[in-house]
Amino acid sequence: MTTAKSIKKVPQYCYQCVAGPDLLTVKVEDGVATEIEPNFSACDVHPGAGKCCVKAYGIIQKTYSPNRLLAPMKRTNPKKGREEDPGFVPISWDEAFDIIGAKMLEIRAKGLTNEHGYPRAAASFGGGGIPTYYMGTFPAFLAAWGPVDFSFGSGQGVSCTHSEHLYGELWHRAFTVCPDTPNCNYVLSFGANIEASGGVVGAWRHGVARERGMKRVQFEPHLSVTGAASAEWVPIKPKTDAAFMFSMIHVMLHEMPRESLDIPFLKHHTGSPYLIGPNGFYLRDPATRKPLLWDLKRNAAVPFDTPDTDPALDGTFTLDAIEVGADGETWTHQGLAAETAFGKLIARVQPYAPEWAEKTCDIREGTVRRIAAEYVQQAQVGATMEVDGETLPFRPVSIQFGRTVNNGWGAYECCWARTLLACLIGGLEVPGGTLGTTVRLNRPATTRQASVKINEDGFMYYPMNPTDKANWAVKPAVRNAHGTMVPLSANSPWSTALGPTHFSWMFMKESPENWPKVTAPDIWFCYRTNPSISFWDTKELSRRIAEFPFIVAFAYNHDETNHMADVLLPECTDIESTQLIRIGGSKFIEQFWDHEGFALRQPAVKPAGETRDFTDIATELAARAGLLEKYNEALNRGSACVRLKTDSYDFSLDTSKRHDAQTIWEHTCRAASAELTEGQASDGLDWYKEHGLRTRPISRLSWYLFHELRKQGIRFEMPFQERLYRVGVELGHRLHEHGIKWWDVQLEEYGGLPKVMDFPGIWEQETLLQAGDGALEKYPFWLITSRSMQYAWGSNVGVQLMNEVSGNVRGHKGVLINTKVAQELGIADGDMVEVSSYVGTTRGPAVLSQGIRPDTLLMMGQFDHWATPYAKDLNKPSMNSLIPMSMALTDSTGSSADIVRVGMSKLEAR
Amino acid sequence: MPRYIMTADLRRCIGCQTCTAACRHANATPPGVQWRKVLDIESGEFPDVRRSFVPVGCMHCADPPCMHVCPSTATYQRDDGIVGINYDLCIGCGYCAVACPYQARYIVHKAEYAYSERAGANEVARFDPNRMSVAMKCNFCQDRIDAAKETGQTPGVDPEATPACVNSCIAGVLAFGDREDPNSNVSQLLAENQFFRMHEELGTDPGFYYIFDKK
Amino acid sequence: MSDLKIPPGRVTPWHQTNWDWRAACNFIGGGTGTGLLFFSTLAAGNADNYRIMALVALALIGGGLTCVWLEIGRPFRAINVFFHPQTSWMTREGIVAVPVFLCGLAAIWFGGGVFVGMAALLGVLFLYCQGRILQASKGIPAWREPKIVPLILATGFVEGAGLATALFAVLPGEGPRWLASVLLGALILRRIAWTLYFKAIEKNGLPKNAMDVLRPFGAKFEMLGQLAPEILIVSGIFYGGVLPGLTLLAGIIAVAAGWWLKFTIVARAAYNQGYSLPVLPVRGQGEVKPGIKPGWTK
Repeated sequence: MTTAKSIKKVPQYCYQCVAGPDLLTVKVEDGVATEIEPNFSACDVHPGAGKCCVKAYGIIQKTYSPNRLLAPMKRTNPKKGREEDPGFVPISWDEAFDIIGAKMLEIRAKGLTNEHGYPRAAASFGGGGIPTYYMGTFPAFLAAWGPVDFSFGSGQGVSCTHSEHLYGELWHRAFTVCPDTPNCNYVLSFGANIEASGGVVGAWRHGVARERGMKRVQFEPHLSVTGAASAEWVPIKPKTDAAFMFSMIHVMLHEMPRESLDIPFLKHHTGSPYLIGPNGFYLRDPATRKPLLWDLKRNAAVPFDTPDTDPALDGTFTLDAIEVGADGETWTHQGLAAETAFGKLIARVQPYAPEWAEKTCDIREGTVRRIAAEYVQQAQVGATMEVDGETLPFRPVSIQFGRTVNNGWGAYECCWARTLLACLIGGLEVPGGTLGTTVRLNRPATTRQASVKINEDGFMYYPMNPTDKANWAVKPAVRNAHGTMVPLSANSPWSTALGPTHFSWMFMKESPENWPKVTAPDIWFCYRTNPSISFWDTKELSRRIAEFPFIVAFAYNHDETNHMADVLLPECTDIESTQLIRIGGSKFIEQFWDHEGFALRQPAVKPAGETRDFTDIATELAARAGLLEKYNEALNRGSACVRLKTDSYDFSLDTSKRHDAQTIWEHTCRAASAELTEGQASDGLDWYKEHGLRTRPISRLSWYLFHELRKQGIRFEMPFQERLYRVGVELGHRLHEHGIKWWDVQLEEYGGLPKVMDFPGIWEQETLLQAGDGALEKYPFWLITSRSMQYAWGSNVGVQLMNEVSGNVRGHKGVLINTKVAQELGIADGDMVEVSSYVGTTRGPAVLSQGIRPDTLLMMGQFDHWATPYAKDLNKPSMNSLIPMSMALTDSTGSSADIVRVGMSKLEAR
Repeated sequence: MPRYIMTADLRRCIGCQTCTAACRHANATPPGVQWRKVLDIESGEFPDVRRSFVPVGCMHCADPPCMHVCPSTATYQRDDGIVGINYDLCIGCGYCAVACPYQARYIVHKAEYAYSERAGANEVARFDPNRMSVAMKCNFCQDRIDAAKETGQTPGVDPEATPACVNSCIAGVLAFGDREDPNSNVSQLLAENQFFRMHEELGTDPGFYYIFDKK
Repeated sequence: MSDLKIPPGRVTPWHQTNWDWRAACNFIGGGTGTGLLFFSTLAAGNADNYRIMALVALALIGGGLTCVWLEIGRPFRAINVFFHPQTSWMTREGIVAVPVFLCGLAAIWFGGGVFVGMAALLGVLFLYCQGRILQASKGIPAWREPKIVPLILATGFVEGAGLATALFAVLPGEGPRWLASVLLGALILRRIAWTLYFKAIEKNGLPKNAMDVLRPFGAKFEMLGQLAPEILIVSGIFYGGVLPGLTLLAGIIAVAAGWWLKFTIVARAAYNQGYSLPVLPVRGQGEVKPGIKPGWTK
């Protein structure tokens, strides 16, 4: 090894997954990036001790890969499809911008929406919003453009933790939900693979907690890395998690002394004492229309916000009241005998005895009662903790979910049960308990606390999409129709991606009855996304993409989606370009900081070939589309991280000029410095290049919501769901008024109190319906997936190092199958097998394991690439080729789950 | 004289392989050559199954069989306990590899790169012909330990004086330090917790300690 | 030359990849060569026969060492093999090899004298070094068993006596009558050494894969490699006059079986230690569980 003449360490961030950002340095020797290391100077402010995840170590190979696209390319074969050679040829940037510019001007001349009312422009990015942290100022371009359809998903919206997003935001401003791990002592983890999906912070916090003695019980059909690191593994049957939790509620309400629960919390901080009318709506005070509760002090029904009450939790009470239903329908009751919401709950969970649940979940007898007892015992009901001068309940127990538990049918019931279980012991949004992480649907998104506002019923306001006759969006604004079909998806910039994004793809092929035609966008931008691999029924989806008339792909290498593109634009990747992002506060998964601030990504090495900084690309696109002024205005408004002008500082850009990336980020850095120091500092890009990040401390109270609700007199909306019931009924009215009956099953999910159904049976019925009699014998296994820390979200399947190190982790090499079952089938470890569902087949080597249920197979990742260099030679399977896009398998929030019935056969011995 | 050792807290390890990747970076090893890696070990029968993650590599034994068998004296043991290899002396006989009960040694005869024959700029910059056809293994990032003598930094405490795998560990599993110093981080960890060393019955007196429970 | 790389994710013992058939050939050539050198001293009868037998012996030893030389990664640095006589049995083997050749060549040159005996004794020392090379390979359980040293010595003697017996079929004159009895004695010693070795590895445990090689091998070896030549020799003692080829055949089989034995142990049963855990760690509030030693017989 020759000795390098110059060595420097350049601060960066890695945001390849939603569990980021990780702060790191790149070691550069004589201009060549050689090593990634944690940014040790950040260890005091970063909640993961400043470490960076294994994915970050792939960046160097990614940068120097010979498979990179290094010049803009255009398609020469007008035919599109998997079998067609696109005939990409290199072109100059000028020619690329000429082609795209002409198309953009042509579209804008025609109008921003098409004859069906859909935006002519669409854009898709990888999940979780993380591509935003690499696309520089492109959001400002999109803002300048006008309506853009973000509803062509690449997995988000349907195979994300979807129900958790929507119901989490509704109940406790929790786009994602996690334990207060640093304070928690007992976690029930239903499929949450936090040790793989929690990133550095999740791994760090849970590692510390384990050493401290936190007990985690892992419920999942296979023994994941998280199960491995847990005190106990419960190999539960897929999609029966709700049964377990409902049974826990049964034990707590029917078998345990009532005083073991947090009665004051239930009475004063939840909707438990609200009285329920015979039509399933709250009984309300005729004068104020406020929900009523029965006050034991006055022995009378009083509005929920009456001071100095002792609300009755259960019992039957006689009162006069009104009931307000859907579309303003009102009933007047006199001398009505009514029960509380809590009383209704007790009755609802009566059938869910542990014996029933253990049979349903196919687990050992005695598990439910034991776990329920541990949960209540560990909750320390009555304990408190002081946080920055505020006395808060301390409840060190929590419940955490993973994908397939919190999306698709059964997920609503799981989310409800989880939130209720937290409420029963007073452990929602308090130290040690179950917390939300961040907000994406409620506004403002600055902090969770800022988004908390009271509504007329004493719960948190929620921006439901309207379902009343006057305001319901009869004509969808975007192709997945989230505003029309999913009231809970709200109307924030994130909402589109949280709708049923498979609808966009499905309806392009065939619209359902009485539904407007769905057409392809005139122009589609895609970046760090590969729906041809990451969505479901990928063969069919690739055909839809091939129908898009004009695709602009910001491309790192050739892949299965940009195979259909018209123009490929190679951007400077992770360590070659500049961007400033916000860090700190509380973010996805387990990112809870004691600081907030900004971090910089900067060119550690010169851009490879002709690749360009994304910000310069965005600026040029804006100019070519005649949008430069609007683009600059968007930048000044803060589209690219921070407002450039406020009352206390002004670093705004001249809107009439074209600014290069360095100038834009110089202004942004100065504004960020000013914001963070309340105008005291105005350090620019050079300061951030040297230091990498700038933070200031924040109060740990920002982690919790309870004190904010307590301050505003707001209750958690548990257990009864009057609001959901109402919007469900109204949505049904609207749809039926327009002759739409194909959403009726989904409408049944809207109710006051959920119940457990045969959720696995939904998939079984659909399999029988699609594949005919005998299908369940032909497809005897449940196929599920599991998170890979090495790959998840990273768009890094072409990175050799990831393949190498993931090879050390069981399951990456093929299809995991129970050892005994495999032996019965004559399958040995390493034998090539074919796995089939009724929509497709995939192949890979069998991986034998004792750590998986006999009725379940598992495929990690999605690896059946056919265009991506390196990845296409890995010969690994993908379950995405096997999962149908199906209306029947779509729940009321518009999501489904990564689960499908499959069969397996041996192809050849190893 | 210090005796440098490494500890791995098996309660914390999640098998993420971040240390594996960091070691590959720090030591510029070719594809597949993992001086540090984490084993993923399944045991038991369904449903009573356990899965353990165990970081392994050179154990820097106090009585290293690899050094005893080495015919060329290429494998050496320093006073601070680090077992290293002098690439200029090694004849690549592989005797050390069969003598090591920890499978810690690698020999590569042909230059290999991440993407077949084409070396990336980083691989070109860091290619070391002296490491071809000789034995290689973890050396506790000994250059960093040596540099610390000049800078006054403390190995295992200051990142620049600490092995890359320890620096990288995202779950606080790995620690490094001086076993002879009762106040060092590793001595403290071993004083407070129960530990074992792998294949201790073979008498190699390994310098890699696995923590499995508190005392 | 194959790279020494480790199978990804492998926990149970796997076959070491660095020492292949060429290493086995060193033990084969070294054992037979030194054994022959020893017995040529006692049995040659005359200088010419000694010269031929000793030349064959040195060729075998040299051939084995050449195989090793071809196997090492840096053959042009081979001189460094002499640097570590303090502890390395490979260095010691190399150091002993020099006087073995010098004395052997001198003995051939002079056709007798003190060099003959010195060469024979140094050869035995060389053979002992080979046994200790295997024993010092702590990473290979089938090798590190101390009883491998008498086994290597015994089979060396068997191979030497066997090859000497065979050579007398082509050399002028007849070999000494006692040679067959000595071969029989060596075979019995080898039988004892093998039995003791196998019992030791059975008792101490071995990687399952290694045992799966050695157990069936042992059954065949004891029948074909031991019993068959033993019967042939005994038969030869009684019926040698009628069937003169019996002893010759016994010698050839005894040599072949020795080679088979060493090839099996060195090139086929060389599974490494793998990994094990004396206990399984606590995870949170769980408990310590009994340890595991994946892929081992015990």
